[in-house]
Amino acid sequence: MFRVAAQLFRYRGLLATLTSRELKARYRGSVLGFLWSLANPLLLLAVYTFVFSVVFKARSQGADPYALFLVSGLFPWIWTSASTLEGAMSLVASSGLIRKAVFPAELIPMVSVFSNLVHFLFALPIVFTALVAGRILGYNVGGISAVALPAIVLIHLPLVAGLALGFSALTVHFKDVRDLLGNLLTLMFFLTPILFPLDSISHLRYVWWAVRLNPFTPYILSYQEALFWGRFPEPSLWLQMATVSLVAWSLGAGLFERLRETLVEAA
Amino acid sequence: MSDETPAVPVISVEGVTKLYRRTMPGDRLRTLKSALVGRNLTNGLRPDEAIAALEGVDFTVGRGEAFGIIGGNGSGKSTMLKLVAGMLKPTTGRIVVAGRVAALIELGAGFHPEISGRENVFINGAVLGLTRKEIESRYADIVEFSGLGDFMEEPVKNYSSGMYVRLGFAVAVHTNPDVLLVDEVLAVGDEAFAHRCLRRIEEFLASGRTLLLVSHSLDLVEGVCDRVMWLENGHQRLVGEPRRVIDAYRQEVAEKEGEEHKAALQQRQEDPASEDPELRWGSQEAEITSIRLLVGGEERYHVESGEPVVFEIRARAAQALDDFVFGVAVATPRGTEVWGTNTDLEGYVAGVFDGEATVRLACPALRLGPGDYVVDVAVHSKEGAPYDYQKRALAFTVTARAGGIGTYLPEHGWEFTGGLKWAGRKTLDP
Repeated sequence: MFRVAAQLFRYRGLLATLTSRELKARYRGSVLGFLWSLANPLLLLAVYTFVFSVVFKARSQGADPYALFLVSGLFPWIWTSASTLEGAMSLVASSGLIRKAVFPAELIPMVSVFSNLVHFLFALPIVFTALVAGRILGYNVGGISAVALPAIVLIHLPLVAGLALGFSALTVHFKDVRDLLGNLLTLMFFLTPILFPLDSISHLRYVWWAVRLNPFTPYILSYQEALFWGRFPEPSLWLQMATVSLVAWSLGAGLFERLRETLVEAA
Repeated sequence: MSDETPAVPVISVEGVTKLYRRTMPGDRLRTLKSALVGRNLTNGLRPDEAIAALEGVDFTVGRGEAFGIIGGNGSGKSTMLKLVAGMLKPTTGRIVVAGRVAALIELGAGFHPEISGRENVFINGAVLGLTRKEIESRYADIVEFSGLGDFMEEPVKNYSSGMYVRLGFAVAVHTNPDVLLVDEVLAVGDEAFAHRCLRRIEEFLASGRTLLLVSHSLDLVEGVCDRVMWLENGHQRLVGEPRRVIDAYRQEVAEKEGEEHKAALQQRQEDPASEDPELRWGSQEAEITSIRLLVGGEERYHVESGEPVVFEIRARAAQALDDFVFGVAVATPRGTEVWGTNTDLEGYVAGVFDGEATVRLACPALRLGPGDYVVDVAVHSKEGAPYDYQKRALAFTVTARAGGIGTYLPEHGWEFTGGLKWAGRKTLDP
């Protein structure tokens, strides 16, 4: 895992180039181009708001306006799950590159992580605009605590990177990972308090514990605290995030390192 | 230029064996276990579950040396290159490479098809360890060398295969690697670019850098390399002076071809039903029962130009004949006649042919140029009515040490007089 980190640092310039290329390539040939980075989260926000406030009438329990509560947890989650899924498939998809040329393989899943991070960051202005609008309309949302955001993203990054790296190497040997992972992430999504405030399920004892013990939960709670509730996350949340991130990075990068020498042959 | 190992090796390969795992259905879990436990795919495999791509290969390459690897398809050449490049790890043995390595393993590998040639230069350069500034300072040279000036902003997916090679080679040599690994790809470039590459390789070697070249173009290998290794089925057959190794390789290829010719001939003679009616006709009043090629008294179908050969025909006449001519004609596989003769042309007047007979046509020195040849044999009447005419009755391969063009290779020598002086002459014999 140290070697992976050293390689990423050594090739940081290349990583940046590849990430910007990935972003450019994604919108090549589309009319709106980079505007999709803004349009996508807006449309997503509209769909979720419609489904959960109009169709399902979700219990928001003080989380008003619901749309704002939703996006403060949803966008970080999309970064996590999209990076993990794309990252998992990335080595297999780029097998030509690592089989036929000398290429630092760890860059490939990391490009998925960073390009999705950029999408997440592009969505933030929308969140901030919405928060400001919410305050103007008299809702008690957001606040100075938003300055904690960079720190949360930074502590969140090793988790996402560890997941992408570990699953990318595993998928090379086990194509089944892709399908397993898709379903697992869907389950995780519903076990994370993104669509509902954690307190709203306190009467469902076991479900509450399942959600609270979900390793993704402290991150989502922290984003919601900093963005929506306008509070700095408590030290215990920081501690939980640091622990999960350390474990995820060690396992993911460690697994990648362990499998590195077989990747060229098996990809 | 010798068989000795260099004093300070830049590439050192010691007892390297590389096993590949045979792909077996339902084996993913064991493969993963092997990868996790042993960090390779062949951990704890039974011998029948693995394929040895390379076995016990040893060689070293020194500074400023060009080392060539030749051998048939699947002999392990590319695996060897990937091992030296560090892409693969040897199953056993050790590989040490001193300095920075640039590898051109496969056409267009390492390029992203969707993005421009220009961006690819920067990505490729970064992979090879250059900073953005270093690439910027060399960018003009790279474009100039590749000759792709107008195409640098095009996505490389629109490039021709020749353009891929131009760009790949241009980037690789301009990153100033200590070791350059090239697998075949140069064959794709056009003549002018090939020459430019060769000049660049000469400069590269002269500045003390090292080249490892894998190619099927034996002339290229001979022209560029100081030493050559011949791989066969993952085993090292011969390492040493290029001419010697390449000649030995060519000789063996010719022998194999000769054996194929022989097998084809035998199959036809043992099973006449398999014969193509287009290739044999005649009244069968006399029948050619077999034909062989004897080289120096031994039946074989690969001939070194100038060797003594005998075309031996066995024939049978069911009833006594008093009008018969035996003929032999040699042609190229595409049908150009090279030489032909018959007993009538050479003045033999028919007497009687009854029962079994053997006809031998001996050439004390068959001076054909290198290549494949086919032989027609016939027995017919003086008027030309065929009793048995066999087209392409046998085939053989000719090798020639001193090369040459065409189908005829006479004994010859050069003489020079006047204001002419040669710097020297390379020895052609091993």
